[in-house]
Amino acid sequence: MTSLKTRFFGLELKNPLIIASSSLTADAGKIREFSENGAGAIVLKSVFEEEIINEYNQIAQTKTSAHFEEFLDYFDYKIREQVLASYGQLIRDAKSVSEAPIIASINCVSTGDWLQFASQVQDAGADAIELNLFVMPCDPLKTAEDQRRFYLAAVREVVDRVNIPVTVKISSYFSDLASVCNALAGEKLSGITMFNRFANPDIDIEKEKLVEAQPFSNDSEHLLPLRWVGILSPRLGCPIAASTGIYTGEQVIKMLLAGANAVQMASVFYKKGPAHLTVIIKDLEHWMQKKGYESIEDFRGRLSLTKAADPSMYSRAQYLSSFGGYAGSERK
Amino acid sequence: MTDHTEMLKQERNTPWRVELRNSVPGKDRIAIERVKMNEVEPLERIKSQTCEVNCGLTPEQALHEARRCMDCVNPTCIEGCPVSINIPKFVKQIEAGKFLDAAATLKEFSALPAVCGRVCPQEKQCELKCFYSEKMNKEPVAIGYLERFAADYERLSGKIQIPKVEERNGIKVAAIGSGPSSLSFAGDMIKLGYEVTVFEALHEIGGVLKYGIPEFRLPNSVVDVELENLKEMGVNFEKNFVVGRTASFDDLKELGYKAFFIGSGAGLPNFMNIPGENLNGVMSSNEYLTRVNLMYANQSDSDTPIMLGKRVAVVGGGNTAMDAVRTSKRLGAERSLIVYRRSREEMPARLEEVKHAEEEGIEFMNLANPVEYMPNAEGRVAKARFQRMKLGEPDASGRRKPVAIEGDIFDIDVDLVIVAIGVSPNPLIPACLPGLKISRWGTIEVNEETMQSSIPEIFAGGDIVRGGATVILAMGDGRKAAASMHRYLQEKQKK
Repeated sequence: MTSLKTRFFGLELKNPLIIASSSLTADAGKIREFSENGAGAIVLKSVFEEEIINEYNQIAQTKTSAHFEEFLDYFDYKIREQVLASYGQLIRDAKSVSEAPIIASINCVSTGDWLQFASQVQDAGADAIELNLFVMPCDPLKTAEDQRRFYLAAVREVVDRVNIPVTVKISSYFSDLASVCNALAGEKLSGITMFNRFANPDIDIEKEKLVEAQPFSNDSEHLLPLRWVGILSPRLGCPIAASTGIYTGEQVIKMLLAGANAVQMASVFYKKGPAHLTVIIKDLEHWMQKKGYESIEDFRGRLSLTKAADPSMYSRAQYLSSFGGYAGSERK
Repeated sequence: MTDHTEMLKQERNTPWRVELRNSVPGKDRIAIERVKMNEVEPLERIKSQTCEVNCGLTPEQALHEARRCMDCVNPTCIEGCPVSINIPKFVKQIEAGKFLDAAATLKEFSALPAVCGRVCPQEKQCELKCFYSEKMNKEPVAIGYLERFAADYERLSGKIQIPKVEERNGIKVAAIGSGPSSLSFAGDMIKLGYEVTVFEALHEIGGVLKYGIPEFRLPNSVVDVELENLKEMGVNFEKNFVVGRTASFDDLKELGYKAFFIGSGAGLPNFMNIPGENLNGVMSSNEYLTRVNLMYANQSDSDTPIMLGKRVAVVGGGNTAMDAVRTSKRLGAERSLIVYRRSREEMPARLEEVKHAEEEGIEFMNLANPVEYMPNAEGRVAKARFQRMKLGEPDASGRRKPVAIEGDIFDIDVDLVIVAIGVSPNPLIPACLPGLKISRWGTIEVNEETMQSSIPEIFAGGDIVRGGATVILAMGDGRKAAASMHRYLQEKQKK
């Protein structure tokens, strides 16, 4: 009997397939579909600190006269109250329709009182919290050390406030990624998800203006998390989930072989719908059966940095032989 | 040129104005120093909740100050007034010694001149647009002090003039709530000949003027005189009447009411939703001020006495926060503290209120924000934990944003915390009108030009529309709503 059970978010999951935070997970109807199609866990759409800041700014622009100074002075708290009330409702609605664990996702760009709301998310019934931390490192006055301090402070603040498991979803924008992950792993985290995928700017050359790039990942993007899962999974003291560019059962298996405990996926479900989850689960099961594996732990990490036959592949950054080979084959 | 501008020009050219203007050369007017408001000494005034801090101007001081006004060709001060009071006219009437005429001019535009003269932020309105502020970089004419002077003079003279009202037209209209927007609405509608009833849920008329603003800033006796004027004009007041509960809108329609103005204000306090906010000893400024101002809960024989804190922290930097912290001092606090997350420069409270608070020994702990309250063994608040802040970049309101200084947290002993961070609309009225369009913040959505809601016979104004603004802006809404309701009812009658 093949078991797909694994552990992430401090929880035993029935399989390693996690529905990543996205607009798909902001709707109880979709959440029910993901649960019915066998999701291992579902991460709700993030509640964004920046969203509250932006909304405050929009309101402030409409109330510029001195008459509204007192009204606006603490209005961000009012916005926050409403955003969190509706997020609490989403958690309750999701819990009522899903057998899979429901993970709240809190985005923050600063520490301070915003993070206190982790406890409200806990009170609303979330099974775990995914902290979605990211500050675009584009301030020339901020150092890598500043970045690291922010990440660690935010994680500590949340971990200290709640009893439910906390994981963090990070980006790859670190000059010392392995070191930062190692430091985060030392903060009683129940997992690290790598990596977050961000909205990107693009350029419309006809209109000559900046536009939003198409939002979906493509399946070649999975190679970035694959490398880092392979490098870090045997060296961190906490579970890892792979995310970005994972579309197929084959890619899920690769991540597990590299050492991931779980994978997070979203783009594929925008394109193929929640029912496609069953296809991926079956692909994973068939492969395990074909290979004779009874559990995920039987093969997880077999090709990680410490177990792979040629671990130098993970640290190699140049294409010396590959390009040479391609060039040669083209000449033939 | 508009009718209004033409009217102002004609009035400016009346012989008495021309003569008065020419009687003192402009350079002499400019040379006059702005008058200082007479005040009760801080140590004396903090002994009583009802001792008004500002004493008003003497007639000599008022004449002196009125002389500073240049009676400008283009009176920009009027642009700064949300109810468009003919400021140069009443100021020149004071200069001419016609104090009762000045009061009558004020009443043409405002149902509550003695109130506005006390609580309006003139420094951000008419006085900001004064010729002295705009062109001379000098202190503006003290328009607010003069407004108060004229209204007080009339009241104290015993010769209170009741504005003329049109003959009753038999059409019944209602105002819901009895705060500044409703009173202003009622004043204009009664002048136009309507049968006006103001419905108030509490046992006192006046709304925020009574329950919100303490008597040391706005004595109840001053408000009562203005209310009495409205009664004299024919406005009917119903207390202890909760529209939506005591009677529904349909009940009132059956009683013959043809249109409604909703001015039920913003009586729902906002909180920060931080740990410990539900402890005993942590309350909203609404509760604290209402219980003291309206229910006298600070008095020893009160049936529902209020907690009298010795170490009081008031969170917020607006006028309500100042009212609460200064009240706590008057009720015997040894330490009364304002905790504000920005710096003094960004405080929305009037400068005068901040100055008065400082004189009275209020401490200001700026650039700090509460993050948690901790109880003693009895479950009452004993400590407040604060996050030290710094100022970041300006936000969309133009004020610099408070940013937490990571790890800089400290505790202070407190036994009473008053949260004064704003209010939200009272949800009762919108909840009992299913077709009424409301925003996600619970405010009633209206046409800004007419103050008419999505239900044609319902108009609204003040904080139930704006979420929270000044008394004078609410009054402006009431006036605007009255004018458009009048048009609406006239049109309806024609059909």
